[in-house]
Amino acid sequence: METKYGKTVKVAAPPPAGVRGIVVQPMALVARQFFKSLWRPSTILYPMKERLENPEFREEVKVESGAPIGVGEIWDNYRGVHALNIKTCISCNLCAFSCPDTCIEMVNVDAGGGKSKKCPQIDYGKCSFCGFCSDACPEGCLTMTPAYTITTNNRKNMVYSPERMFEVFKVKLPQNPTRIALPANEDVILLDQDLCIGCNACARDCPTKCITMIEIPRAEAKPGEKLPKRIWKEPSVNDSECVRCGTCISVCPRECLYWGARK
Amino acid sequence: MVDTIYSVVYALVVYALNLLGPIVPIAPSLGPGLAVWLSYLVVGAIIFAFSLVNVLVFIWWERKLLGRFMDRRGAMHVGYAGLLQNLADGLKLFRKQPFAPKDADELGYYFGPTAYLVMSVMILGLIPLSFGVSGGVVPLSLLVALALFSFAPLFIFIASWSSNNKYSLIGGMRTAAQLVAYEIPLLLAVVGVVALTGSFDLNVIVGDQARYGWFGLPLFLGLLLFFVAMLAEVERIPFDLPEAEAELVEGWSTEFGGMLFAFTMMGDYVRALIGSYLIVLLFLGGWSMPWGLSNFPLSGLVFFQVKTYVVFAIFIWVRASLPRVRTDQLLQIGWKRMLPLAMLNIVWALALVVWGWPTIHWPVL
Repeated sequence: METKYGKTVKVAAPPPAGVRGIVVQPMALVARQFFKSLWRPSTILYPMKERLENPEFREEVKVESGAPIGVGEIWDNYRGVHALNIKTCISCNLCAFSCPDTCIEMVNVDAGGGKSKKCPQIDYGKCSFCGFCSDACPEGCLTMTPAYTITTNNRKNMVYSPERMFEVFKVKLPQNPTRIALPANEDVILLDQDLCIGCNACARDCPTKCITMIEIPRAEAKPGEKLPKRIWKEPSVNDSECVRCGTCISVCPRECLYWGARK
Repeated sequence: MVDTIYSVVYALVVYALNLLGPIVPIAPSLGPGLAVWLSYLVVGAIIFAFSLVNVLVFIWWERKLLGRFMDRRGAMHVGYAGLLQNLADGLKLFRKQPFAPKDADELGYYFGPTAYLVMSVMILGLIPLSFGVSGGVVPLSLLVALALFSFAPLFIFIASWSSNNKYSLIGGMRTAAQLVAYEIPLLLAVVGVVALTGSFDLNVIVGDQARYGWFGLPLFLGLLLFFVAMLAEVERIPFDLPEAEAELVEGWSTEFGGMLFAFTMMGDYVRALIGSYLIVLLFLGGWSMPWGLSNFPLSGLVFFQVKTYVVFAIFIWVRASLPRVRTDQLLQIGWKRMLPLAMLNIVWALALVVWGWPTIHWPVL
């Protein structure tokens, strides 16, 4: 017995010298292994028998989150095929933005009622399963599952459309993940009021509709300056609703929105 | 004599010639001479085919057992439990183009593996598979078989020298050293058996064991020595220095591809088959079984094969367990350990004879 990595483990005694240690002991060991694996070798017949996809198997091993469950099986937080909840996706583009392999493309899906919206489509031929997209997803609608069977004989089949990932979502993750709360000291969208022209582009494109255009008092005209005759509006960002996707910053024509510490 | 393979085949050939009579009027009139020669050919073909099937099943047996020893499954997809996998591998090798390397000596390159296989297969004609099922009754069959068995290093050396490859040459040199060194304990271990029977005829040796008990019991030391020497002779782990994959690429058969590689591989397994046959014949009673189990027709054939496969399973067990020895260890085991023990074995066998072992076949002096 010996303490190793904080655990008490059994340490095999050194083999005895001579024929007993060189010939007899190894042969006895191998013979024991032979009878152990005579009817059921440890080999998992992977392509013929899918163990992970089998729900019975998952119940059998009683997976606990994050705990390794043994050789040949799989971690519950394994990063495999993505599951996408189309219904809660807000088309914020953060997943595609954070993807280091540029394997995510935003494609149109039917949102119901004759409308369509953009949802991520993932090419697993390029994906490195880093998990940045699911980390970035503010709604928690793009998550990774332990499913790993994406093998196919056609490269086009490795491109998973949003609908296909929704099927994975329905099978793998029946619970609806809730929106992830951002930390209190997260940067917020700030406005440079001198540059804003009140064009409404940010409010129009905001995926969470947290930007509202509020009316502001008309600016005092300086001597010799002529101001346009219209209602003055500027965006007001509801920080508790904002997911920090940055869409407003990228659509702003005057570059008057920027990241900054909460005031 | 109904129970020898020749009488059966002869009757079949005569029947076939008579059937041919209306078509080829001359066929029956050629008489017994033609039938005798044809039956030689047919028996040869039967033995050859039987041993080749055995070789294929041997490779399957090795793959399956080795898999179980290593906690995996072995060949399992082609045929039932992977039985036809070796046939598929052989067909693949058969379809390949044979060619010699640029600087190889083509004569030796093609001659070496072929002669290695042919010389190994020749021994099978001398080995009785059961009573009367053999290529012929040869009074000195054991001696001739061992003589042919010891031809292998010559052809291996020819093949390795002609390959013009340093790995091949090192492998060939090692083969020559190893096979010549272990030839001596092998033959000395046989001397004990010959002393107890007084005959070199394998049929007689098996007959004596059927009568007085298997020689593996009184000559256990001889069995052990013969087994270890046979391991070295058929170049199996732990004595597989001639094709040590870690050091020499594939040993003396590095340069061979396609059918020539199949010849070397098949030669290895034919030799392993012959080694297992000889161990069973000399020490484990051949086709005889105690309590009259082998009295049923054709049961001797089955028992002989079963014993052979058990012996080969022990070969595989050893392969799965033990690491390869070094060259100096190999020669040390051969010359310093096994040679004195073989002498001791002979002394023990002669003591048994002196103490009254029934040696009815000893020639009258």
